[in-house]
Amino acid sequence: MVKNIESRLFMLAALFLAIYSVILTLSPSVRERSWDVAYLWQHWVGFLLWSAVFAYAYKEFKREFSESDPFLLPIAALLTGWGLLTIWRLSPLFGFRQSLWMAGIVFAISFSLRFKLDLELFRRYKYLILAGGLLLTFLTLILGSNPAGTGPRLWLGCCGLYFQPSEPLKLLLVGYLAAYLADRLPARDRLIPLLLPTILVAGLALLLLIVQRDLGTASIFIILYATIVFLAIGRRRVLLISGGILLLAGLIGYFFIELIQIRVDAWINPWLDPSGRSYQIIQSLLAIANGGIAGRGPGLGSPGLVPIPHSDFIFTAIAEEMGLVGVIGLLALFGFLISRGIRIALLAPGRYERLLAAGITAYFSIQSLMIIGGNLRVLPLTGVTLPFVSYGGSSLLTSFIGLWALLKISDQSLDEPAPLLKPIPYYIFSATFALGLVVISLVTGWWIIFRGSDLLTRTDNARRSISDRYVHRGDLLDRNNSPINVSQGETGNLTRYYLVPELAPITGYTHNIYGQAGLEATLDEYLRGLRGNPASLIWWDRLLYGTPPPGLDIRLSIDLSLQETADNLLGSHKGGLVLMNANTGELLVVVSQPSFDPNNLDEIGTELAIDKNAPLINRVTQGQYNPENTISLFSQAILGSDSPSTSAQKMDLYQSLGFDNQPQIRIPVAEVTAGELGNVSPLQMALAAAIFSNNGERPTPRIAMGLNTPMQGWVVLPALGEPVHVLAPNTAHETAQTLAGDKLYWSFTSEPGGDPAITWYLAGTLPEWKGTPLILVVLLEENNPKLAARIGEKLLDSAIGP
Amino acid sequence: MSAPIVLGLRLFLGLTLYLFLGWVLLTIWRDIRQQGKLLAEKKIPGINLTIKIGEKYSQNHFSTQSELLLGRDPHCDIPLPDETVSVRHARLSYHHAQWWIEDLGSTNGTQLNKEHISIPTVVINGDQIECGKAAVTISLGIEPSHPKTQKIPKMEI
Repeated sequence: MVKNIESRLFMLAALFLAIYSVILTLSPSVRERSWDVAYLWQHWVGFLLWSAVFAYAYKEFKREFSESDPFLLPIAALLTGWGLLTIWRLSPLFGFRQSLWMAGIVFAISFSLRFKLDLELFRRYKYLILAGGLLLTFLTLILGSNPAGTGPRLWLGCCGLYFQPSEPLKLLLVGYLAAYLADRLPARDRLIPLLLPTILVAGLALLLLIVQRDLGTASIFIILYATIVFLAIGRRRVLLISGGILLLAGLIGYFFIELIQIRVDAWINPWLDPSGRSYQIIQSLLAIANGGIAGRGPGLGSPGLVPIPHSDFIFTAIAEEMGLVGVIGLLALFGFLISRGIRIALLAPGRYERLLAAGITAYFSIQSLMIIGGNLRVLPLTGVTLPFVSYGGSSLLTSFIGLWALLKISDQSLDEPAPLLKPIPYYIFSATFALGLVVISLVTGWWIIFRGSDLLTRTDNARRSISDRYVHRGDLLDRNNSPINVSQGETGNLTRYYLVPELAPITGYTHNIYGQAGLEATLDEYLRGLRGNPASLIWWDRLLYGTPPPGLDIRLSIDLSLQETADNLLGSHKGGLVLMNANTGELLVVVSQPSFDPNNLDEIGTELAIDKNAPLINRVTQGQYNPENTISLFSQAILGSDSPSTSAQKMDLYQSLGFDNQPQIRIPVAEVTAGELGNVSPLQMALAAAIFSNNGERPTPRIAMGLNTPMQGWVVLPALGEPVHVLAPNTAHETAQTLAGDKLYWSFTSEPGGDPAITWYLAGTLPEWKGTPLILVVLLEENNPKLAARIGEKLLDSAIGP
Repeated sequence: MSAPIVLGLRLFLGLTLYLFLGWVLLTIWRDIRQQGKLLAEKKIPGINLTIKIGEKYSQNHFSTQSELLLGRDPHCDIPLPDETVSVRHARLSYHHAQWWIEDLGSTNGTQLNKEHISIPTVVINGDQIECGKAAVTISLGIEPSHPKTQKIPKMEI
């Protein structure tokens, strides 16, 4: 009956991996939303190798270890296969290499069962074997290399085959400690003389690892040593002392070794330097958050955005594509693995076997908790592997030798286990591990459920620009539905085109490196389809594709033909121009010079940011200029005197003109500190000047007018504020008439006097005007009233002319 | 579109993973239940104790429990009401297919067939245990012979 369980578990594991492979094969068609794509087939090589080699392993183990634990081998097989397919998904090259490693290791271990190797052999030659392990590790100091080319040289390699001796060294330490302590216990000596030889040996290994800068393995070494000694001796003092040593080593390392400092700083406060030191951990959290509860599905997430996803961050990759559901499944597999390991230790026939089984189990549990905790920012990041799952032949070999020893011990266990003097350390160990699993699941849930939406809207989440290539982003249109910014191209290769580059400071851009600016930034949620679409559609598309639904088109108040006229009039003069409907606040023309061409952002992006002329600034809404003597115009109309006489009066004047407040509009505007009187933006000036053409009322500005929703067609995007009544209509009319003289519109040109020199030109239609009431503000960053007036007059002529 | 098909497969994928885990759990649970049953079915051969304290006190005890506590305390399984017996004096327990006697640190010690015992020791049929002045004779595997109830002869008045 026992072996029946094993074969059924193997069938289920194979089914799981087969479904995973099918999904991975189909994943390109989901991404590109079409059947006509290049499907992925390579990873089936991995699946077939897995099936073949584990079928053989099952047969061999069944014959040689007939009494062994029935759960361990299927669980290890499932973990290995899951990891293998995840590696294939991340990188077919690494996947292929890992498949060969797996096949070789599993075959070799299964085949070696015929030789009936005995664990006693190790017990007898423990010093010799350990010395060999240390020698190999020592050799990496001289002959060491790194397959990646740079970084710590921890590998011994030849002919494309690399091996990391510090991985099996951990297992050798476990075996040595088990053999030594089993021979010496129960301890009649004091602790120090008893442990002295082990401290010497472990210290030597530790020193080697520290010199090599293999700090993850070094910390595992200390914890593993403490755990095994504690399990054997059962004195809590052991834990306290080694905890102190670890803390001390950490502190010394923090101040003297840069790598540790980076890791610890990135752990304590990752948000300070998200693009530098804590890039890995932040990207890891983003990936986990993107996985959500159900996961994106195999092949459908973007785990490749996290550095080294196949080794240190394989847990993150699994979390992104399998979600919280998958993570809990994975943790449960490790939970079963460890609990069976502890059971085998407790039922072991002798002290040596018991300590060995417990030590191997401790090795699996400590290493998995450390790396998963590191991925989740529960612990500082240690670059160790996840047993059975991570990429790496040395790690896989170590895991399988450990598994072999566990199965061997469980096969030997008799009816009568060896007596256990102090069971408490085993309880403490099991409880600590169980607690660790619970903490890890809770923290994963925390990042996904409570912090998920915060994390995913971060600008350093590259998944947003990836989804822009697969999902249509809404277009920006002018008031007559002429396109301004559009997304075009094949699914998977959608590109944003900016058809009116002159409007770039206003409409902005969306770019995978330089982020977003202007209207593309403020209207992003609509353009990205996260607002304005039914919630059910957003949810469904996220579940199916992991992306938002197609974005919504937005109609702007800009009139492209007038805009072109204004652009030509201003030419290359630095400054801003705004033409606005004085009644509704709709911005018909917005010019900001100099401009830039966002179509070339790839090439010019870095220069733009440091350009002294600040082309990225929208001068109309973000520019801040001295109002100069335009203040006297308003002062005369509102206060009846040339300039406000007291500061309280000045405050009142600025308040009624709206100069002390940011305009409420869906476009980035300059920040205004409340209560501080100073410079104003051309948009603020236009709103204030509108009182003379709009019966004394200051309108609310608008630029985004309508939204093309899938259910109701075009809907109006309402203004964000209310118009403010400033002046009696009569007074407004009088001022306008006085300024107009015999022309069809009133106008006012400032007298430049300040430094830097600027020129304001304000103009507006008269109350008698039957057409659209208009307000125009021209601002030149030079002393040139004549030019300002000429630009203004020509533009108004074409705006109100026939 | 392929997405709904893949969504179905993803559901199936999660299901298989949990089926695997569920199967592991189920078999572990079955294993525990079976072991429980096995233990419950384990027959303990009865033990018959004949207790004698001095000349006056004499009693017979028969038990099929796996642990028997001997002592002066009346709550003990086998109470031995004598001053020379400690409150919790000794324990008879059945494991490894044997009955074992173990002294619980009593004042006057426990003797098995006139010899002091310091570690748990196997007892066999006919062994005599002495706790202080109380003597306990052990007979194993024998149902106590209940003397047949005598018929009351008809009384003739």
